[in-house]
Amino acid sequence: MINLFRLTSFRLIFIYTILLVISVFLIAFYLHLSTSRDLKNRVDEDTIKESKMLISVYQRGGVNRLARSIAQLSQIPNANLYALRNNKNDIIAGNFNDKESLWNLKRLDDGWVSFSSIRNQESINQSLPPKEKFFRGKEFILQGSYNLIIGRDVSNEVYLWKRFLTNIISATFFVLILGLFGGYVLSRNILNRISAINRTSIEIMDGDLSQRLPVGLIDDELNQLSANLNLMLDRLNKLMIGMKDVSDNIAHDLRTPLNKIRTNLEVTLMSNPTSENYKNSIQEVIQDIDIVINTFNSLLAISRVESGSLSLDKEKIDINKMLENVIDLWEPLAEEREIILINQCDQDVQLEGNRNLLSQAISNLIDNAIKYGPNGNKINVGAKLEKDNVILWISDNGPGIPDSDKERVLERFTRLDISRNTQGTGLGLSLVNSSIKFHKGSISLLDSNPNGLIVKLELPKIN
Amino acid sequence: MHILLIEDDINAARYVIKGLRESGHVVDHASDGEMGLDMTLSSSFDVIVIDRMLPKIDGLSLIIKLREENIRTPILILSALGEVDEKVKGLKAGADDYLAKPFSFSELLARIEVLHRRTNPETEETFLKVGNLSMNLLSREVHRSNIKIDLQPREFRLLEFLMRRSNQVVTRTMLLEGVWEYHFDPQTNVIDVHISRLRSKIDKPFNENQMLFTERGAGYALRSND
Repeated sequence: MINLFRLTSFRLIFIYTILLVISVFLIAFYLHLSTSRDLKNRVDEDTIKESKMLISVYQRGGVNRLARSIAQLSQIPNANLYALRNNKNDIIAGNFNDKESLWNLKRLDDGWVSFSSIRNQESINQSLPPKEKFFRGKEFILQGSYNLIIGRDVSNEVYLWKRFLTNIISATFFVLILGLFGGYVLSRNILNRISAINRTSIEIMDGDLSQRLPVGLIDDELNQLSANLNLMLDRLNKLMIGMKDVSDNIAHDLRTPLNKIRTNLEVTLMSNPTSENYKNSIQEVIQDIDIVINTFNSLLAISRVESGSLSLDKEKIDINKMLENVIDLWEPLAEEREIILINQCDQDVQLEGNRNLLSQAISNLIDNAIKYGPNGNKINVGAKLEKDNVILWISDNGPGIPDSDKERVLERFTRLDISRNTQGTGLGLSLVNSSIKFHKGSISLLDSNPNGLIVKLELPKIN
Repeated sequence: MHILLIEDDINAARYVIKGLRESGHVVDHASDGEMGLDMTLSSSFDVIVIDRMLPKIDGLSLIIKLREENIRTPILILSALGEVDEKVKGLKAGADDYLAKPFSFSELLARIEVLHRRTNPETEETFLKVGNLSMNLLSREVHRSNIKIDLQPREFRLLEFLMRRSNQVVTRTMLLEGVWEYHFDPQTNVIDVHISRLRSKIDKPFNENQMLFTERGAGYALRSND
């Protein structure tokens, strides 16, 4: 047996059922109270009117006239109840004859009296056992020691109230049972679905990342939650695969320079070296190790930018000035290869961002364009405003990137065949990519006509 | 040169101390911030190297304390955090230079030596002279052996940076930071090209001793030729 109270759904339904019962009870009670009070007031008014009339009859005609009037009134169907008593408590007129019941009549706070009787039956149906009847009335003391009681049969109301109480209690009981049962059924349903989610989660935790949570046909909260968790798992899985690729690549990329270092040192040792040989070898080794360190530094830089663990300052950057600066850095190298670097930037293009990261991104892109393009290449670098975005571009007429590789080159350690023989870490474009992500922009690689690559960066003006 | 190294990582400290001693310097070592503070207050040093993360008193607070005590010794701060913003914090606290871990020893040595020499950093000097190479910062003219050399603005700044640190090794990173204000290393060695261009203007045309040297694995140095 499951502990139902541990389930949120059951607890909620239970609390709601209780609240519903209480409010139904209150509403019914209030309705009953207000209607019965109205009815009572009307009856009381009638009684008072009649009493005034009878008292004036008595004052004018004495007790005999009063007795006659009472007798007449008693004839009317649904008549009130009359009991005229003398000072010996004998009933001398009226339609009420149970004199014992009048000995213990109750005087109410509002000046009225109430009494009950099982004997005063003018019953139509004698076969039924006599039922206690309840009366409400007013007592008048007449001069000459007569006592007049005018009353009304209120048995119906009393019985109605009793029935109302039993009914409301049984109804409450019924609603409670129904609510608890409904809660149980509904919770069972939700519980089953949650158990399925729990089971799958445990399987996933045990290492089977291919498992997905069950998603039903109905678009409700639970299914939405499952679908979102599934999307999250997809993303995690992709990241895991990415991580694995990256670590494989790190291992591969670091093995190459380390092998080279090892070979270099071995050869130096074998060849009966002079101190000059040693010095040269050591210097070469230092250079090779620098490559390894560079790779690590770039990797760290990328992951810092991507994880957002870096609290980077943002400032207003004059893009034209920034491009001038980067071009200035690369121009001598470009000129050596007869490559022309052209700045096509519009004036007054400004962007809120991190100057260092953006400069590095542009620098990496220019580096690539120079590295992979032919001598005599022409590289255009530019920027313009387009609505709320700054469009930055670097175009060349080098070999370009085939469509099939365009997505891949942004990933870490991707090196295309064309770049096998040039020096590089395969991290340059990844760093551009993460820097653009940091600025909440997008990067697209387009073909230039007739050949070459256009790298287009779209960055929001204000981050 | 008398150097104080305040560093809690014993392995890192040992290799820095060994390197600095090999280079002919006297090195004292403190392994936490409190000890470092005591040592700086009791004796004087030429350069203090402080790690950013230290037990007892952390690097930044230590620098602030030292500056409050009116100790003007040049300070180089080391940090594994290695980001531009951290650098700004370090410099604001009163450090004179900042180096991110992991660093190469040659980089550290170059920076310590430059710090030591820079008693009056970037002063209002209007005239620089190294050997027979002279630079007038007002007229922005450069002469060698009384022959005028035409330099582009960037070449001028590069040469100025080197002349202010003459006879010292200046690393690639120092040049990128000092001349271009970049805190990243381009994958391709662009600085080499800038240096060889500068060399073709200040060294090549003159049949005299070379002044601008490339120090393999370390950086560049402008040396007086007399």
